Parts: sequence; C-alpha cells; structure tokens
Amino acid sequence: MMKSASGHAQVHHWETSVAPMLVVGGVLFLVVFGFIGWFSYHSALMTILSVGIGVPLLVAGIAKWTSEGLTHKPLVEGLSPVALPIFIVSEVFIFLSLFVAYWTMRLSAGGDWPPAGTPTEMNLVLPIIMTVILVASSLTYHVAELKLEHSDLSGFRSWVLISMLLGLLFLGCTTYEYGHLLHQNFTPSTNAYSTAFYSITGFHASHVLVGLGVFLAVWLAAVRGMSNKYFAFCAGLYWHFVDIVWFFVATQVYYW
Amino acid sequence: MSTTSSGFKLSEWIFTTDHKRIGILYLIGSIAAFAVAGLMALLIRLEQMSPGPTIVSDAYTGGDQYNVWLYFHGAAMILGFLIPGLTGFAANYLLPLMIGAKDVAFPRINALSVWLFWAGIVMALLTFVVPDKPDVMWTGYPPYSIKTGGNLALYVFTVHLIGFSSILASVNFLVTIVYMRAPGMGWFQLNMFTWSCFTALIIQLVFVPVLAAAVTLLLMDRYLGTHFYDPANGGDVLLYQNLFWFYSHPAVYVIFLPAMGIFYEIYATMAKNPIFNYKAAVYGMCGIVLISGEVWVHHLYYSGMPDWIRIGQMVTTLLISVPVGLMTISLFGTLYRGAITFNTPMYYGTAALYLLIVGGLTGIPLAMTVLSVHLGETSFTHAHFHFIMGIFAAFSVFAAVDFWFPKISGRMLNEGQAKLGFWFNFIGVNVTFWPLFIIGVEGMPRRYWDYSQFPAHFADYHKVATVGAFIVAIGMALTISNWLISAVKGKKAEDNPWGSKSLEWTHTATPPGPGNFAEDVVVDAAWTPYNYR
Repeated sequence: MMKSASGHAQVHHWETSVAPMLVVGGVLFLVVFGFIGWFSYHSALMTILSVGIGVPLLVAGIAKWTSEGLTHKPLVEGLSPVALPIFIVSEVFIFLSLFVAYWTMRLSAGGDWPPAGTPTEMNLVLPIIMTVILVASSLTYHVAELKLEHSDLSGFRSWVLISMLLGLLFLGCTTYEYGHLLHQNFTPSTNAYSTAFYSITGFHASHVLVGLGVFLAVWLAAVRGMSNKYFAFCAGLYWHFVDIVWFFVATQVYYW
Repeated sequence: MSTTSSGFKLSEWIFTTDHKRIGILYLIGSIAAFAVAGLMALLIRLEQMSPGPTIVSDAYTGGDQYNVWLYFHGAAMILGFLIPGLTGFAANYLLPLMIGAKDVAFPRINALSVWLFWAGIVMALLTFVVPDKPDVMWTGYPPYSIKTGGNLALYVFTVHLIGFSSILASVNFLVTIVYMRAPGMGWFQLNMFTWSCFTALIIQLVFVPVLAAAVTLLLMDRYLGTHFYDPANGGDVLLYQNLFWFYSHPAVYVIFLPAMGIFYEIYATMAKNPIFNYKAAVYGMCGIVLISGEVWVHHLYYSGMPDWIRIGQMVTTLLISVPVGLMTISLFGTLYRGAITFNTPMYYGTAALYLLIVGGLTGIPLAMTVLSVHLGETSFTHAHFHFIMGIFAAFSVFAAVDFWFPKISGRMLNEGQAKLGFWFNFIGVNVTFWPLFIIGVEGMPRRYWDYSQFPAHFADYHKVATVGAFIVAIGMALTISNWLISAVKGKKAEDNPWGSKSLEWTHTATPPGPGNFAEDVVVDAAWTPYNYR
C-alpha cells in the first residue's frame, strides 16, 4: 500500500500482518485438531494439547487484528459496512440449508410428529423469554451506537456491556434448557426432532457466542479509549442478524 | 520472484497482506496439490491397466487402497488445485491490477483466506499420515461415509477450511470490484477476466455455505449421533445428495467462468482484437449465475425422483448451454481477422476451444434423462467432465501462468520447452480420455478398480489410457520445471512483451512493487482493455 502524498514516489515497503496466520493456526488447532483428537481418536491428550495451543493463538490473533484494525488506515474507508451484509448472505444460506434439512425430515414424517422420545411437554414459555432478551439486547446495542455517535465513549461502553450481559443471559437460558432436556433423555440422537432441535438451536447459539466475542473486542477497545464507527456498526449488524435468525428458529423449531 | 524493493525476506512473504504475493502463495499451494493429486491419478491409471489387482496388494483390501487414491485425486484436484488456482491465484494476482486498485478491500482477510486454504491443503495431506485414511471420494455420500472406517473428519474439515477461505475471498473481491475500480472505469470497460471472477464469486458466495452445511450434518451424524441422513430414524439419504450437488454443480461454473476469462484475455491480446460481442458474453456470464442454481438435480437422475422433476431439470440443464454458447461464440469471434501470435498461452487457448467443444457436446447426452441413465455412471461421464472441467480449467491455469509469467517473475519463459510441454499435455490427455469415452459407451463403469466381469477388450483401452496419463506426466514435468528454472534464470522481460492494452501490462513495473502503480490510475470513457483498433 502506498502512503506517499508526493505522487511520484513509489513506496518500497511490503505490508505485513501476523494476525491472519495466528487466527488460522488458532482455528486449525482449537477447532479442527481439537475435534479430531476428541471424536476421531478419543485421545484426551491430543485434545488438551490442541485446545491448549489453539486458544492462545486465536486470542492473540484476534487481539492483534483488532488493534491493527483500529490503528491502520485502510485504502478505502467505510467498506466493512457493505462487506458484512455480503458475508451475511452466505450465513443465510447455511441456516437455510439447516432449515431445509429440518423441513425435509418434518414433512416426510407425515402425521408422526413429534416422533417418539420427545418430552410430552416442551417448555414453550422459555423461548418467549429468550426472544425478549435477544430483542432487548439489539435495542440496547442500538442505544450504544447512538452514544458513540455523540462521542460519548463511556456511555457506549456501558450499553455494550449491558448488551453483552443480555447475550450471556440468553446463552444461560439455552444451557438451562439443554440441561433440562438432556435430563429427560432427550439427546441429539433420540429422534429426528432432537436431531434438528439441537443442531439448529446449537448453531444459532454458536452465532450468539461469536457475536459476543465481537462485542467483547469492541468493548475492550473502548475500555482502552479506542473506537471505530464502522467496527461498532458491523458488530451491531451481525448481532441484529443473529436476532432475526432467532425468530425463524423459535417459530419453526418450537411453535410449529 | 524479485521485487522492486530490497531482497528476499521470509517474513515479508509468510506474513504478507499484498495481493500479488498472496496470489503467488495460492499458486504454490495449488500446484503442490496438483502434483500430489496427479500422482494419485497415475496410481489409479496403473491399477486399471489390468482387470483384476494390478498394483494394489490383493483383491480383499485393494478397494480400500484404491478408494483413498480416488478420494485424494478428486478432493485435491477440485478443492486444492482448480478453485484456488483460478479464484485464488489468478484473481488475487490480476484483479486489483486490472481494475487499477492498489490492493484488495481487506488485505488482512485476504491473508486469512490464503492461509485457511493452506490449512486445508495440510488437512488433505494428512491423508497419507493417519492410519484411518479417508476413502469417501470427493463427494462423501452417506451412508458409506458415515459407516466407513476412514477418517471422515479429515474430509469434512478440508472442505470447511477451503470453503471458509472461498467465502471470505468472495466477499473481499466482490467489494473490491464494486468499490475500488479506478476512477472513470465503467462496468462495460472491465476486463473479461474481471467479469468472469465477479460472476464466479457470486456463485461461490451463495453455494459454498450449502456444501459447508451438508458436510457439517455429515460430521454430526457420524460423531454426534444425529440422524439427518439416517432413514431408519426419520432422516433422508438423498438430502445429502441434494445439498451436495446444489453446491457442487455450480462449483463447475466457479471453475469454468474464470477459466473462460483467462482465455478471453489471451485471445484478445494474441489476436490484437477487441472482444467479439463483449456485452453478449457478459450477459452470458450473468445468465450462468442465474441458471446455475437450477441444474443440480441431473446428478440425481438415478437416485429416485418423479419423472416431472427429471424432465424439468433436463430442460434447465440444457438451458445452460445458451449462455455458455454466447460465451463460446464470443471467444471464437475474437479471433476473426486477428493478427494471431501463436505462443504457448495461445496454444493452450486453441486447445481450450477444442476441449470446450468436445467436453461441452458430450455433456448434452448426459443432461438428457434417457441417455443419462445409460451413460451416467460410466467412464463416458468420467471422460466428459475431465475434458470440460478438469483439463479445460487446468489448461487455463497453465496458460495463465505462461501468459502472465513475464509480469509476475520479471523474466521470460523458455518458449521451446513450454511448447514441448504443451504438446505432451495435449496429446496425453487425448490418449487418456478418448478410450474412456469409447468403453464408457460400451458400459465400463466409473470408479471400479476391478472390472474383470466386463468384456476383456476393456483392458486394452485402459492400457492406452494409462500410457496417455504418463505422457501428461512428462508434459507437466517439462511445464513445471520450466516455471521454476525460468523464474530464476530466464531472460529479463520487458514491461509489456505481448503488447497488451490491459492495465496490468501498461501501467505497472515488471514485476509490480508494493502499491502496484506509481501514480493513481484514472481512465477515460474511451479507454478499454481491448483497445486494439
């Protein structure tokens, strides 16, 4: 990238960043080798080693990446708010595939639904509470963004923190629900409904977790007195997307 | 590769965020994948020399060994070589130069993409290290993939890593093309290669996630006990085939489009002609994007479905010949009354036209339901898709390296050796695949290692095909060694040895340094990359 303002001078300088490779290393060890160690080779040692190597790499990579993103000036500013929706298109298709799998099983089951093994009374109040929590967190994050617009960094920090706590509360509800259902012997392998239920809600919950990770990065930067409106906007956009997906999850998986 | 800055520094390569260096990293990875997957092809061909066990150890475990070769050949050629060679190497190196940008929109995400791809290559190569080698082809169909002793997780994570890399690259390049074109550069002033990547990346963005989801469900069925593909518990085996081909047929166009884009560039430059029917070809590419999502069911003709779906899908599958036809005519027409220079890239270009026609026309009977039932699972299909997808696209990668070699390395190739390599490659692929077309029609099934229950004369055709594969191996040894040697010892190249009008030749140093252009590029309404008249 050229930084020169003088026009004719070619800058003899190759841009580098350690962050991407750290992130790839982190993902490779934490997710891939961790999974294979545990599920393919049933080796606790391999799993612990992989996770032990992967987590620090990933955290270091994301930290480095965030700090570079907040300090370096990109070639063209303000492109991330258009890039993230494009990325979300691909996310939509992942969720769509999961729903297609669910609908296929559901519709081919005919009248046999829910299949044997499903608890007679699923808790249908909890999803409403979870919906309220998630919508509230979207709203609180919106307030945070308004604070940032008015350059109120400490207000921004507090409202991001509130949004994060609501997100954590949502994951707490999921954990409680899973524990309750597992206790009733409703596990991923019980039947077609449990297969779809755990996969779809679990995949959504993993997105909540990623969204919380992004909030954490935004928040930590704000604690250090740094902020970037595009970064904050993207974090919010992703969170709203996760929120909207939840409507589909709740209506399809719980109430249909 | 020498640069305009100081000498070679390893950290400036492995931590680079520069699109040109990332492109070269893609090229190294994809050629490595090609080489290993090519060795697997040789093993497959050697095994088929005779009807029973030839090089596998015995009739009982032979199938397992053979399946691992098939797995690696298929997965590495498609996911490790063709896609990263085109939308990885070529798009990375060329797109920002062609649109007059200093880099891509998100250089760090670009670096993330290339190393995710390398991580995928590492996962694929682990096949040769682990005791439970994956043996699920590149398709991973259940229920076999869920029941086999082979390591399914390696396959799934290879797909995940390379898939995630592709999705990020799609986002990055789409934004780059839309927002970072040089001031004044309108949509119909773009290079054909830029257009081809733009359309291919849209397909990639939308369809790769579906593949990722399909294999994720596979992973969960195998290791977490879910029942997505388990009919005994309310699942559906065909669900996988649908999800898989919903991605994997469009993946053919992710490969085909940039391959065509490369040949357009070579044709225009070597014939010194503007692109014939530029707009029609662009609309053809957009048409492929629109239709690509409606053709996948022809992969499931014999998996069971109502006739009305078969017939509907036959129509949509045949329909894709229309945009492809538009593109082909435009490619052909670009040569009309041109002053054609026949160097190695143009040799590959000419061969591509032949491959396109043979591979394209043999696709038509396969799209037709009645003929497809007879031909679909035979080596006719095997030869068809090797022509149109494998060799056509592979030739485009070789042509791209040869064509842009002076710009990338700053040196000229040894033209004689390159041409010799081309002839070995071209003759080799014909000797390999024509016999397979013929015995395919006579009923030689795909994927079999032991065909002793079939007519004895099949073995003769297989022997010829095996000879062909080794001719290609010689050709590739000549080609790749030429790249390596010429990059160090070749004659110094001028800035624009082919007299091209495209920005990457006219406005950059050879090879381009950091920041690509000495001054910001601005173009006017009269500028086109094909302004040869």
